Amino acid sequence: MNERTTLEKIAASVDEAVADGLAELGLPAEAVDVEVLDSGSRGLLGIGGRQARVRLTIKPQPAGPDAGPAAEPLPAAEADDDLLRIARQTVTELLDKMKVPAFVDIRYGSADEEGSRPVLVDIHGDDLGVLIGRRAEILNALQYIVNLIVSKQAGHWVQVTIDVEGYRARRERQLRQMAQRMADQAVKTGHRQSLEPMPANERRLIHIELRDHPDVTTQSVGDEPARKVTIVPK
Amino acid sequence: MKALTEYIARSLVDHPEDVAVDEIRHSGRVTLELHVAKDDMGRVIGKGGRVANAIRTLLRVAAERDGSQVTLDVVEP
Repeated sequence: MNERTTLEKIAASVDEAVADGLAELGLPAEAVDVEVLDSGSRGLLGIGGRQARVRLTIKPQPAGPDAGPAAEPLPAAEADDDLLRIARQTVTELLDKMKVPAFVDIRYGSADEEGSRPVLVDIHGDDLGVLIGRRAEILNALQYIVNLIVSKQAGHWVQVTIDVEGYRARRERQLRQMAQRMADQAVKTGHRQSLEPMPANERRLIHIELRDHPDVTTQSVGDEPARKVTIVPK
Repeated sequence: MKALTEYIARSLVDHPEDVAVDEIRHSGRVTLELHVAKDDMGRVIGKGGRVANAIRTLLRVAAERDGSQVTLDVVEP
């Protein structure tokens, strides 16, 4: 057990400060008592706001192997909330160690056909272009690593989708528009149209967008990471 | 960067106690040597090096923050 028994954290909001503190201690919320020293204030237009300050005190440990420090994998998630906590802790730790200050929101998305719900992570803050990169290379790497870590710690596969400042939503809209435009082009010229190379999740969007198109079909050609969608007139 | 590599590796392997990272600095270049247990090699390298490459991509973000360049090698035990 860590010899430190209390920890004070300062962040933009009480929730963030608590989350940061838990991530630093590597403990679940139940393992600490939270005392709000200053609940902070938003200020006007982000100016003159006061940071929130909290003190976390580690509760005395019941004997047993549970609730060890962070380096130990958490026990397999039995409850949904454990999953969200693992995801939050993983993303927070990674951002901290990448030296990218940002806020993290975590929630469940709607269930897919098999009834499993993806975990959605929203990262927001200032100057987060560094987290996206060219063709979302960095965002996709972060999402991949988080998927692996969360699934490993939960003991089963968990789909985690990460977005930064609404990037994926904007990109999705762009891709759909581009798909329609290129489909028109394919029909007009009678020639197949190749799109730029894209990661699998983006290619999938194009296929779905044009699935019911009356005059074109789509296929992916080439090898990763240069695999791209081709739109073929029928 | 060392801490980032250690954190990711320990979170992915079956034997976190065997994870070690050596950091070698030459002016602006940082070389990280990641050591893991033999049967964990696949977990930190991944199919076609996908996991190791994703770790390298994240390391680049941290490296740019302090103006250095980083190389990650996964070392065979």
